Amino acid sequence: MPLRDRTNCRSPEPAQIEFSQVTLELGGKRIIESLNLAVKPGEFLCIIGASGCGKTTALRLAAGLYRPTTGDVTFEGQPMRMPRRDIAIVFQDYGKALLPWRTAAGNVSLALEANGVSSAQRGEQIDELLNKVGLPGHAGKYPAEMSGGMQQRLQIARCLAQKPKALLMDEPFGALDAMTRQGLQDEVLSLAQASHATVIFVTHDLEEAIYLGDRVIGLLPHPGRVGIELMIDLPRPRDQLTTREHPEFLRLRRELFDFIKASEA
Amino acid sequence: MMPERAKALALPIALLLVAEIWTRALHVQSDSLAPPSAVAAALIEALSDGSMLVATRDTLASAFAGLLASSAIGLALGITLGMFQIIDRLMEVTIETIRPIPSIALLPIALIALGFGYRMEIAIVTFACVWPILILSRAAVRGIEPRLLEVSRALRLSLGDQVRKIIIPASLPRIFVAFRLSAGIALIVAVSVEIAINPIGLGAAIMTAQQALRPDLMLAYLLWIGVIGYALNRGLVIAQQRLFGRAALVGEAS
Amino acid sequence: MKRQILYWRAASLVVAAGFIVLWQMIANLRLVSPVFLPGPDRAWAALVRGFASGELWTKLLGTLEHMAYGWFAASIAGIALGAMIGSSRTMRSYVAPSLEFLRPLPVSAIVPVAIAMFGLTQGMALFVIAFGAIWPMLLATVHGFAAVEPRLYEVARSLQMSRLAVIFKIALPSASPDILSGMRLSLTVALILAVVCEILAGLDGLGHWVLLSARAFRSADLFAGVILLGGIGYGTALAMSTVEKQLLKWRPSGH
Repeated sequence: MPLRDRTNCRSPEPAQIEFSQVTLELGGKRIIESLNLAVKPGEFLCIIGASGCGKTTALRLAAGLYRPTTGDVTFEGQPMRMPRRDIAIVFQDYGKALLPWRTAAGNVSLALEANGVSSAQRGEQIDELLNKVGLPGHAGKYPAEMSGGMQQRLQIARCLAQKPKALLMDEPFGALDAMTRQGLQDEVLSLAQASHATVIFVTHDLEEAIYLGDRVIGLLPHPGRVGIELMIDLPRPRDQLTTREHPEFLRLRRELFDFIKASEA
Repeated sequence: MMPERAKALALPIALLLVAEIWTRALHVQSDSLAPPSAVAAALIEALSDGSMLVATRDTLASAFAGLLASSAIGLALGITLGMFQIIDRLMEVTIETIRPIPSIALLPIALIALGFGYRMEIAIVTFACVWPILILSRAAVRGIEPRLLEVSRALRLSLGDQVRKIIIPASLPRIFVAFRLSAGIALIVAVSVEIAINPIGLGAAIMTAQQALRPDLMLAYLLWIGVIGYALNRGLVIAQQRLFGRAALVGEAS
Repeated sequence: MKRQILYWRAASLVVAAGFIVLWQMIANLRLVSPVFLPGPDRAWAALVRGFASGELWTKLLGTLEHMAYGWFAASIAGIALGAMIGSSRTMRSYVAPSLEFLRPLPVSAIVPVAIAMFGLTQGMALFVIAFGAIWPMLLATVHGFAAVEPRLYEVARSLQMSRLAVIFKIALPSASPDILSGMRLSLTVALILAVVCEILAGLDGLGHWVLLSARAFRSADLFAGVILLGGIGYGTALAMSTVEKQLLKWRPSGH
């Protein structure tokens, strides 16, 4: 399997997404302060933190949905002024982020239309994408006819249709049950690997962060800033049983747990 | 930032100013337009000589009489159909056949049967308002928490007591919504009947003003009818909030 | 389950037939003067006679035409204006309060103004019907556009969709349930106003027909006209709800 070389994350390779001294104020309130962050191409970065620490806000800054009050967010060296199609964002509330009046195929098609894919080519790509996220044979279903896990798969398919260089995921599995969640974690890992996309994954689930990431950063709340940074050197491919029982996994979990406890105190 | 209230008033005031300047500057001699100031003068005149108030009384009397009659009929039918599904199913075709008849189409029938005046207007208003009250009160009764009905059965309440003590109080908030919507319909139908044929009330008065080539008076009546409609609606909305809280406003958007 | 529904429908039809028999009996026994109340037999005969001579056809088409023109004009204008007002917060705060004031206005009160402007003409009827029918659609469209899920606008932004694409792919479909229910309400208004205008202006249509029949005490013709008007109300509502069901089949049931 063509595993990406994850060990050179520390080498001075230029960052794909970079936050330098980013501060964001919304409605007079400082949400994020002096945030510095560099994400390398192909990296899988997880962001954790207590609720209200600004992790979702940081993701929206990376997506270009917010613009920093001061400081810069850059993508491949270019300042982010507005959202771009090669950065896809997966929202937590899949029920609101899908078009209820379009079928699964139609929802994927929306991104292809925006990308200017001709209608002749769309059909084939839609089938391929739905297959990729494990929804073959559901093309004609409306979101209301699908389970939560299926809807989130559909949203991921739409994001993949953008052929993103970076995939931003905002607690994508927060509302799903444990079994569905584990299955989707493994699928996201293999999709990320296959597409070589950078992933920033926001979650409040510490184990999920360690299981998925090359690196985990923890944010401190009020205002949001980086409080901890951990490199995850667990072997890949990861496995739901062995990885989670790895002594290093347990050590990292303990460290993050203590960090969250301290940040909430 | 302008306060919301100022923004709300900006458009009407601007339109009034434009109308005033335009009609004055061009000295428009029109049968349909008049400067807002002349309309205001006509409004004050008609209000002070009492003619407008008499017309308002006639229209509102017919509308309310029809509204009361239709409430009585509509509630009785609605509660019956809501309580007994068998009757509801048996009456389905009959009701769905009569309901779509536009109320105004009954005008000629009412005219030859009852002649000009209050009675025919009340009859048509009644026909128009029965349906929303029937449909909404039926839905209200159906929507009563089943537990409540079980309680009434456990207490062995008589049918009359069940209706009086459980069903009506439980469905009252939604029935009031039906009443409020019907009040609007009653006013519209009453004015329409008066405009079309019946020589009483605000509708007849506005027609007379048009035929007398008094655009100022005609527009004054139009404005007044708008105020009455708005006031009626506002009053009932406020009453509803006072009586049942904001919860009762939910579900009327559809 | 399905079969049971059919049985109930049949029983319900029998009840309706029973009412018609009752009506016939009342007419036969002359409990009500035949000048006011023809039996269903006479009303039916008048209907057949009217269609055979072609006269009722003309009137029926006349009314449908008045309704349709006014309603279409109102639909286009109402949806376009509603989209403009609803999609801009600034527009909403300036215009919405005025709309709220105008909403409870009994729309038929505009008839005299329209007569003063256009005379007793087809144009007057078109104006009145369009004016009356526009409100439900305008208000529903404003509401629908204002209530679009903000998350969907973010999806549109991250796909860098054009303004036009956002309107046609996101906002319009999202507002479509509101718009369609506004259109259904407007149909009823359009029919009522068509009848009022025909009565007042003597325009060729069923409204004029029922008025003339009443004046001449031809109660059978009068009832035939009323039955047809009920038919129009029923038919248009049915057509509308069929279209609605077709267009909104994506909605989870229970809405």
